[in-house]
Amino acid sequence: MNNYKYQDLKLGQTNGFEYNVTEEKLNMFKCLSGDNNPLHTDDKFAKQHGFSDKVVYGMLTASLISTFGGVYLPGKYCIIQQVEIKFIAPVFVGDRITVLGKIVELNDSVQRAVINIEMRKNNSVKVAKAKLYVGFLE
Amino acid sequence: MLREEVYCKLNEVFQDVFDDEDIRVEDSTTADDIEDWDSLEHINLVVAVEKKFNIKFNMGEVNKFKNVGEMVDIIISRI
Repeated sequence: MNNYKYQDLKLGQTNGFEYNVTEEKLNMFKCLSGDNNPLHTDDKFAKQHGFSDKVVYGMLTASLISTFGGVYLPGKYCIIQQVEIKFIAPVFVGDRITVLGKIVELNDSVQRAVINIEMRKNNSVKVAKAKLYVGFLE
Repeated sequence: MLREEVYCKLNEVFQDVFDDEDIRVEDSTTADDIEDWDSLEHINLVVAVEKKFNIKFNMGEVNKFKNVGEMVDIIISRI
């Protein structure tokens, strides 16, 4: 786990990690969230509606933003204040997600960093982009 | 810039940050007058004001505004 504080950060600073999407994680997210919509649980239903397989929860993908902020950049002292996200393409079980973030704004007066995050699957298709606003524990 | 001109631009910032076109602020306005004005929106507000007026607040200033009038005093002193 990284432990950057506000004063350690620089504009343009980057970090990232990779994440494998598995059937087990999909099931765990279903249990945690209570979202049993068939788009995420029934491959036949998903195929009837134009997808190649059941679709991974967008909010499971979005949860990687929490990991990014809380573990990688800034890490230990992070307080997530706000997240904006767009889901661009579906994620399926078996996909490998690459999460990359870059600091695009530092607001000195309020000690806040703004980080643009891009997620791609299998090193090609962009599946989501997000803007993460983080403060810092004292 | 006249105080009225500052308020004209400042109202736009408040309306945008709080997503409410009916908001009108004045010297005596405080966070108690705007339901969504919590500590996180205060951060968004401070940054939006800095960008709108192309100024920077000091860290010590941003948590000491007693009302909008005090914020406007600092804005006018910086532009």
